[in-house]
Amino acid sequence: MHEPVHPPFSAGGEASACQPESPHLPGDSGVWTFIVADMGAFALFFLLFSIGRMAAPELYESSRIHLNAGLGLANTLILLTSSLFMARAVDAARAERRSSVVNNLLLTICIGSGFAATKIFEYIDKAQAGFSPLTNEFFTYYFAFTGIHFLHFAIGIGALSWMVGKARRDTLDQRFVIWIESVGCYWHMVDLLWIMLFPLLYLLRWAG
Amino acid sequence: MEQKVDTRFWRLCAWNGPLFMGVFIIFWGIMGHNLPPYSADLPASDIAAYFRENANQVRTGMVLAMTFTISYCVWGLAIAKVMEQVVGKDNILVDLEKWGAGLTVVPVLVSCSFWLTGAFRPEALPDSVLQMLYDMAWLLIDLAYSITSVQMFALGAAFLMDRRQQPLVPKWLAWYGIWVGFMFIAECLMPFFKSGPFSRSGTLNYWIEFSIWFVWCPTLTYYLLRSITRIEQEQAHA
Repeated sequence: MHEPVHPPFSAGGEASACQPESPHLPGDSGVWTFIVADMGAFALFFLLFSIGRMAAPELYESSRIHLNAGLGLANTLILLTSSLFMARAVDAARAERRSSVVNNLLLTICIGSGFAATKIFEYIDKAQAGFSPLTNEFFTYYFAFTGIHFLHFAIGIGALSWMVGKARRDTLDQRFVIWIESVGCYWHMVDLLWIMLFPLLYLLRWAG
Repeated sequence: MEQKVDTRFWRLCAWNGPLFMGVFIIFWGIMGHNLPPYSADLPASDIAAYFRENANQVRTGMVLAMTFTISYCVWGLAIAKVMEQVVGKDNILVDLEKWGAGLTVVPVLVSCSFWLTGAFRPEALPDSVLQMLYDMAWLLIDLAYSITSVQMFALGAAFLMDRRQQPLVPKWLAWYGIWVGFMFIAECLMPFFKSGPFSRSGTLNYWIEFSIWFVWCPTLTYYLLRSITRIEQEQAHA
């Protein structure tokens, strides 16, 4: 009835993921639609924040100083380190080294989980200090944007855990490589979004 | 999946998606004064004045919107038929898509009935009750997002499993639908704000959320119509 010529979630006729000499987008070509659209949404968030900040710089600055930049930096380092192991897992999958794939994915999850611990601690700390999304516009954006980002993070942890299961039982073929590359691209996006959120929310000072 | 299917009414059903969209823009949006909605920080007297001064227009708009709400379900069934050609009849993704599309009709219908109730005898109702009806309608229609998200996730996942060399629905569109369904989660913030981007008339929770859905619906319909032709061709050559 139809032609099953390439696996589901594959790059649809594009160069194989196992042929690095042919330039191609890593992972499934369609997943990039999600990534680009999501980055577009966050770009809009950043724009809304910047417009709000220009309208009320004192309010934003007096709110910003209540954020713990040390924790923000820790989370940046946690996600960057986690992403390093993600990239190593992808490399291992391309080389069909199963135990290395599993170990690197587990390290990605374990190190990445530090982000959740830090973020939950930070939310509790802010709540105990009396800050909530309704405190003012800055904290509305802070809780909304970091909350939506945290949801992305949680989905990423779910996808990584699922990949661990796949890595243990599936053949490490081209189809698996496309899967792990897709999850890897998503995980790097989570990282990249935080790298943008961190300076915008925690570091950007008002020069006025 | 391997059996020949009768595609005679599929196109008609698929056109119900754009029909639903068109009806809602004109009757719910323009005639019902929901394009854009009144801001949640307006006083009750303003909302009451809207119902009293535009009662007949709102009644007409809502009656027609309610009449055509079912077209969303019909569209969802056309999507399900095409999905069956990708993942098979027994796949639960098909059921999830159908239930998502069918149940989406309920909150849309009920919220329209709240707007209609407000326009039914606005002169006899106090301002605060009219404001409450307007609020209820918006809270319901926005916060029922997860029902539609289930439909979008299910059909997105199904079309991503298409093993054809050229999938019936392109992968980018399947992912786009999943992303739109995911983005709807921002509606959870809507009840906490009466102004700003997260409010019911805000940049994010109104303009962006509705726009991304309004791009998805006709684009998917375009590919559905093309898919039906391709399914017929596949059957002819089988």
